[in-house]
Amino acid sequence: MSKSSDSETTYDLSGPLEFDALTSVRPGSNILVSGPAMTGKEELALSILADGSRQGQGAIVMTTGDPADQVIADYRERVDGLDEALFAVVDCRGDGDRSTDRSAEGSYVHHVSSPSDLTGIGIGITKSLERLANNGATSGRFALSSLSTMLTYTDKKTVFKFCHVLSSRFDSAGYLGLFTVDSGAHDEQTIQVIKQAFDGMIEIRERDGTREARVLGLAGKPTEWQEF
Amino acid sequence: MSEGARPVVLIVEDEPDVAETYNLWLADDYGIRIAHSGDEGLEELDGDVDIVLLDRMMPGLSGDEVLERIRDRDMECRVAMVTAVEPDFDILEMGFDAYLCKPIQSDQLQETVTNLLERSEYDDLLQEYYSLVEKSATLEATKSSGELADNDEYVRLRDRIGALREDLSETLDGIESDEDFIATLRGLSDVEEQ
Repeated sequence: MSKSSDSETTYDLSGPLEFDALTSVRPGSNILVSGPAMTGKEELALSILADGSRQGQGAIVMTTGDPADQVIADYRERVDGLDEALFAVVDCRGDGDRSTDRSAEGSYVHHVSSPSDLTGIGIGITKSLERLANNGATSGRFALSSLSTMLTYTDKKTVFKFCHVLSSRFDSAGYLGLFTVDSGAHDEQTIQVIKQAFDGMIEIRERDGTREARVLGLAGKPTEWQEF
Repeated sequence: MSEGARPVVLIVEDEPDVAETYNLWLADDYGIRIAHSGDEGLEELDGDVDIVLLDRMMPGLSGDEVLERIRDRDMECRVAMVTAVEPDFDILEMGFDAYLCKPIQSDQLQETVTNLLERSEYDDLLQEYYSLVEKSATLEATKSSGELADNDEYVRLRDRIGALREDLSETLDGIESDEDFIATLRGLSDVEEQ
């Protein structure tokens, strides 16, 4: 059950992905972005984040793959005149770097020693939320790329609980959460379990070289597949 | 916590007056044990203890050292550190579940103890929630949606999952506080490391 009041402004995610089901997503919703490798899951999640940044919302990226500097450089290209005070990165690539609170050219970066260091991740997300709120963000979007990496570091039980606790936190904060997972990298049962920690899902597939998406769980029945 | 028994709080505090004050505040609702040093605290600690109130600065074993030994022993109790200085929440990384700054007020102490018990409840609910979700996922992976709708076990399972989700969202106010959030995540890693 959502704690967020109905009067709060909903999130319109239909910019990067034109679905009616995405035009009015309630604050505190957490969405799984699922699809095979190389089908643009991360790209989609970051586009949705960037759309929010252009409207003055906060944005937090948690990365298990690309280094923070690269994430920031890429994000600057997406968002013209990015307000760095409203952007934060939680970098948990597991390169052993344990330094915290490092600001790279204005954007806030928190380093976590490994994707399995859930305490460090919790602290990084808490500090990011705090900083964005202090800088005036009244709403914001969060992207985690990717849960598949986390699943190689810890078991599905821990990842499920992690997702549930994060979802609850974002629900309280009125944030929107996007979590990518490589559907081909895990057995069906794992995906089925992980999926249940989320309010909805954007599923991606590729057919004959065309990428298609559909939305499940956010507004009634699953939508039809649609090219994007 | 044994069935029907009151939760047990262990107070580890080298100043007898202070320990006695905490005792007075808590004795109506909890079973209390008092230790006047870190060593005594470790002697008093067993599986029945739910909450440890641990003074950080003590002669002999410090609060940090006691905590380390508690965690080494894999005890499931929650530990609140009592400190003279306001720490950053980095302190939660050390394995403390909460901290209280001296001088402590009665309502503050009660609130912290209640909150820590609620965290244990949350962890238990989350564990139960997971095991039901896993069962449900196993059925979903092996049966068609038509079969599932007619499957009594599955229907009951979904009802219980829905109810548990509600319970979880009402426990700890749906993880609204930073401390609850970080400590709950830390609890997940602890389990995973075992």
